[in-house]
Amino acid sequence: MKRLLGVLALVAVAVAVFVLGRGDDPVSVAVTGASYAVRVEIGGEVEVRVTSGRADTVTIAASMPSMGHAAPEVSARLAGAGRFVAGGEMLSMAGLWQLSIRLTGPAGEETLTVQAPVSAAR
Amino acid sequence: MRRVCCLLVVFLVLAGSAPAAAHVVSAGADLRVALTIGGSELTVVVEGVRRVPAPLRVRVEAYHGGAPERLALELRSVTDGRTATGAVRPSGMVAGDVRPSGMVAGEVRPSSAVASDVRPSGVVAGDAGLGDVAELRAEQAGPYELRLSAAGESAVLPFRVLVERGASWELVIYGALLAAALLAVGGLLTGAVARRRAGMLVSAGIAAFVAIAATFVVLEPYLPVADPDGAQPTAGPRPFARALVTTVPAEPVAGQDYTLRLDLVDGATGVPVDDLAVHHEALAHLVVTSQDGVSFSHSHPLRTAPGRLEVRLRAERPGRHLVHVELERQESGGQLLTGEFTVADRDEPPRDEPPREEPGPGETTTGPVGAAPRMVPAVPVAGRPTTVEVDTVAAARPWLGMAGHLIVRSADGAFLGHVHEMGTGGPTLRFTFGFPAPGRYLAWAQYATGERIVTVPFVVEVPR
Repeated sequence: MKRLLGVLALVAVAVAVFVLGRGDDPVSVAVTGASYAVRVEIGGEVEVRVTSGRADTVTIAASMPSMGHAAPEVSARLAGAGRFVAGGEMLSMAGLWQLSIRLTGPAGEETLTVQAPVSAAR
Repeated sequence: MRRVCCLLVVFLVLAGSAPAAAHVVSAGADLRVALTIGGSELTVVVEGVRRVPAPLRVRVEAYHGGAPERLALELRSVTDGRTATGAVRPSGMVAGDVRPSGMVAGEVRPSSAVASDVRPSGVVAGDAGLGDVAELRAEQAGPYELRLSAAGESAVLPFRVLVERGASWELVIYGALLAAALLAVGGLLTGAVARRRAGMLVSAGIAAFVAIAATFVVLEPYLPVADPDGAQPTAGPRPFARALVTTVPAEPVAGQDYTLRLDLVDGATGVPVDDLAVHHEALAHLVVTSQDGVSFSHSHPLRTAPGRLEVRLRAERPGRHLVHVELERQESGGQLLTGEFTVADRDEPPRDEPPREEPGPGETTTGPVGAAPRMVPAVPVAGRPTTVEVDTVAAARPWLGMAGHLIVRSADGAFLGHVHEMGTGGPTLRFTFGFPAPGRYLAWAQYATGERIVTVPFVVEVPR
């Protein structure tokens, strides 16, 4: 009987893990423009990986249209080849943020926009 | 016991290899967007797909003569930048819908056939690849941009390819039933059920899996449904948008073409607004009227850049012109944005091109419009519903998703209403509208026939 209960408990745990484990993944969004392509990853910080094109500077402007919020532009710092990182404090609350990523480089200036769902616990 | 464990391992491996998303349910909805391009009213249709990768079928419907013969298409994935190109020729005209394959040598065509769609057979040979439908391959779900170019103008239409994915709960239900079945069959085949302890374990396992399946079957209506693959996360209603209205040239000249430009900004942040929903089959409905109401155009501007809409129009009359823009941001309600500009008299010093006499872009009032509309009651009462009946000159076909549209403007331009036909069918279009206050209203009823868009202008006096 104990074993039976044990098996049932294991099954229940497996189901719970399956259901609850499908929670928030770290945000990762790719966007491709005419001159540049980037992948934006949002954990504790906002990381912009330039996957196509050569960018010299990356500036991020965050806004949350549904709340009427806009955050000041932040210049991302170079953190490796094609990797730019900015502090995550511009994303002041959970919700769907719109990030306008302005890139400059030999190919000129281009602004790429991504929608990023940001969860409370990052 | 060991065999039971082996079976469980096999099941878990099988369950793990199941596809994460089963593309079995069609998104099923076509995207229809009206555009005023090359001086012509067109509706671009992107047909829904059940799965990706798949060819996206794109066709273009024309609503009056003079449509561009060829639209160049470029589909670009915003995710990875992959592009597919093609071309399509507008179809759907009753008089001018002449397919090259259907042409018979020596066939006599009525002279009323729309000239632009009827080409000499020698020209058709060179355009043999150009059909009514273009197929552009989409490799994945997610955001796309479709660039349409014709007559020196181009529009970039953003949209998302969505593919339904089966609810994860279905996986749990079918997985649990499969596990129960495997346990039952495995238990019988291995003789486990004949042994007391193993048999009890097998029975317990079957009972547990059946219980899980039954629980999820009962709970399924209350469980959240997975978003389709490629869907944008929801964010809730957006604030109002404002339109900065400018023209190129800054002061259009009567009788000449000009470009009307709308720069849309978010009223709360000043950030460009690039989240327009397709609303009554268009990103925006633009109504430009002269102050006296003699000149009227209802067009569907092209998105030329994020937050920017442009349309090429013909200035007909000098003087003050009013701009009304009806649009809807995603997950929000409809909005009406306004602006104005002035058209210079043609007595002004001549500009680049001489005035032309043929109908210009955005002009849809050519041709007979039939009898004057009737009012029920004959004298409208402010604040109460009035029905306007319009007799059509030919069978109406749906345009912008409706049989007919009625645009009502107060004489001073401070009020604008957009009314839809009630769906009664037959040769009479019926619109019901409550004129909000006494006064003089300028009204335009619009509908599409097989060969043109008919605009019926009339004036309504609402007494005190």
